[in-house]
Amino acid sequence: MRRTAHGHVPEGARSLPCAPAQSGARVVRLGATSLRARESARARSPLPSSDPFPPLTLPAFENFEDFMKEQIPEAVFWCVAVGLLAVTVLLVRQRGITSLLRRRNAELAEDLRTREEEVRHLVAVRLPALEDHGPQQQPVPGLGLLDARLAGSGFAKSLDHVLERFATAVEHAQSRADQSAKAALKSSMRSIQALANEQQVAISDMQDRHDRPDVLRDLLEIDHANAQFGRRAQAIAVLCGSWPGRQRSTSALIEVVRGATSRIRDYRRVQIHGQADIAVESRAVEPVVLTIAELLDNAARHSQPNTKVEVNVQSVHNGACVIIDDAGVGMDAHATERAAALLSGRHAVDVTRLDDPPQFGFAVIGVLAARYAFSVSADTRSPYGGVRAVVFLPSALLTHRDTAEEPPVTAPPARASARTPAASPRTPESAGTPAASARTSESAGTSEPAPSPSPAAEPSPGRSAGLPLPAEASTTVGGLPKRRRRAPASAQAQTQAEPAAGVQDAPAPVEEPGGRSAEETARRMGAFARGTLHGRAAQDAEQDISGTPHEDEGNIQG
Amino acid sequence: MRPYVVTDGRSHPTRNTLDLVTLLIAADDLPLTGLSPEKRALMELCRPGALSVAEVAGHLALPVSVTKVLIADLMDSGHIVTRAPIPSARPSETRILQEVLDGLRARL
Repeated sequence: MRRTAHGHVPEGARSLPCAPAQSGARVVRLGATSLRARESARARSPLPSSDPFPPLTLPAFENFEDFMKEQIPEAVFWCVAVGLLAVTVLLVRQRGITSLLRRRNAELAEDLRTREEEVRHLVAVRLPALEDHGPQQQPVPGLGLLDARLAGSGFAKSLDHVLERFATAVEHAQSRADQSAKAALKSSMRSIQALANEQQVAISDMQDRHDRPDVLRDLLEIDHANAQFGRRAQAIAVLCGSWPGRQRSTSALIEVVRGATSRIRDYRRVQIHGQADIAVESRAVEPVVLTIAELLDNAARHSQPNTKVEVNVQSVHNGACVIIDDAGVGMDAHATERAAALLSGRHAVDVTRLDDPPQFGFAVIGVLAARYAFSVSADTRSPYGGVRAVVFLPSALLTHRDTAEEPPVTAPPARASARTPAASPRTPESAGTPAASARTSESAGTSEPAPSPSPAAEPSPGRSAGLPLPAEASTTVGGLPKRRRRAPASAQAQTQAEPAAGVQDAPAPVEEPGGRSAEETARRMGAFARGTLHGRAAQDAEQDISGTPHEDEGNIQG
Repeated sequence: MRPYVVTDGRSHPTRNTLDLVTLLIAADDLPLTGLSPEKRALMELCRPGALSVAEVAGHLALPVSVTKVLIADLMDSGHIVTRAPIPSARPSETRILQEVLDGLRARL
C-alpha cells in the first residue's frame, strides 16, 4: 500500500494523511498547500509538462479534488474581493484624511507664516512708527495690521495690546525725559538769567559813571551782548515753563517794539513805523517784548545784512498788530507748516525734539501766545520777498494812551521800567553828576548861584507855568536852602494838556512882558542850575521837596 | 531801553564841546517829526527854557555820555543851541557859600 502509494499517488495526495479529519477551513488551506506543493513539484520535475494539473488518477480523491476545484477559487475570489474592497475603502479614506491633513497643515503653515510676518511687521514698522510719532494721542498713520485677515482675531488683539503697552511706556519715558530736561534747563537758565541781570545792572552803573566816549563804546558793546545773552536764557526758561520775568509798567507799543529791538544782534537794521497811542498792559509787556524780539531775530538772521527789517505797528478792529517784514530767503512749505504748528502753541513742546542746534524761537512764541492769548502768524510772504510775521494783540492786552502826553511821559517811565534795578542807582547818580558838575564849575572858577539871577530866576517856576507852585519855603535840617528842582516831567504832563506850546509862551507875557532874550534866560537858568546843584549835593533823598527855591535864595541873599 | 538803541550804537558825540553844565536851548521853529522818542523828549524838556546837560540826562534817565550823543545830533540838525555854562553871573557871594558849607558840615 505504501509502495503503491509511493508509486501512484502523487505527492500532493500523499501529503494528506489526515485530511478527512480536517474541517472545511482547513481543507481550503490544505488545498492551497497542495496546490503549492504541486507547483513546487512541477518546478522540481525536469520533465516539461503541458498540463499544469495532471489528472489525479486516484479515484478516492476525485470528489475532494472536484470540491477543491469548485470551492476554493470562489472562496478565494470572495476573500480577495472583500479584501480588495476593504483596502480600497481604506485607501480612499486614507487618501481623504491625508489630503485633509495636508490641507490643514498648509493652512497652519500659512497661518504661522502670516503671524510671523505680522510680528515682524510689528517690530519693524508699527513700533518704530509709534516711537517716532511721540506721545500725541491721535492715530498714527501706517500702524494697521499687515494682513487684514488677522483683524479681529485673538492674535491681533494681543498685538494691539502689545502696541498699547509699548505706547504707554514710550509716552511715560518721553514725558519723564522731557520733564527732567525741562527742569534741568529751567534751573540752569534761571541762574544764567540772574547773572545776566546782575551784569546789566553793573553795566548800567558803569555807563553812568564813565563819561568817556571810548569807554562808553565798549560798554555799549558789552551791554548789547549781555542783552542778547539774557534774551536767550529768558527764551529757554520760558520754553521750560518759567514766567517771562520782570513785571513792567504799561508801555507804548512802539516802546515795546524798540525794547525788543534792543535784544537782537542787528538792531540797527530794524525800522519802526506806526502810531504811538497804543500801549500794552503791564502784565503783557515782557512777553510781547520777548515775542517780537524772537521774530525780529529770525527776520534779521535770515536776511541779507544790508537789508532792512520793517516793523509796522497798526491798530486793527479789536486790537493791534505788529507786522514784521524781512527781505530774506523766506520759508518753504514744510518750514511754514512747522512754524504754524509751533506758533499755534497748541501742542506741548518737547525740548528734546527741537532741531539740532535747537530752534527755540517759534516754540517760545507759541508758548507765550498760548499763555497770554495773543496770536502770531508767519505764513505770509512779505512784499520784500521774505517772511511777513504778524503779531496780533487783542484789546484785552492793550490800553489807550494819549499821544499828546506821549513823549514826555512815557519816555522816562518806560526807561525807568526797562531797568528797574538800575533806576535806583540812577537817583543818587543824578545827584552825583551835579556834584561833579559843581566840581567842574568850581574848577572853572567863580560859578555860584548868582544873586541877581535868583530873583530873576522867577521865570523858572514861571516856565512851568501850569504848575501849582508850592509857596512854603524851607531849609533843610542842616540849614541848607532848599531848592525846588525843575518841575518833573510827569507832573508837568499831568497838569498840562499842551506842555510845549503853552508853556513856551507863558513865561514871556507872564513874567516879564517886556520879553527876555534866550541868552538872558539861559544865563538865569545857568545860575538856577548851579544853585540846584549845590542844593542837591547835600540832600539826595529830599530832592523833590516842594518849595520855591528862588524865594528862598532871595531871602537868604536879601 | 538800552542806551545803544537810543544812540543807534554810537558812543562818540559828533562834537566835543559839551560839558555837564552846558546849557541847552531848544529852537522853537523846527518840527519834531522824524526824531526818535528820546530826542523828542529831550526837545520837550528844553522847550520851556534851557536846561543843563546833566539835568537833561537826569530827566531822561540816560547816562550823560549817551545824552551827549543825542544832544550833538540835535545840534547838528539845528534843533538845539548851546550856551557856555558860565554866564555873566556875578562872582559868588561868600555868604551863601558859607551857608552851604555850614549846612554840609551840619549834615555830614
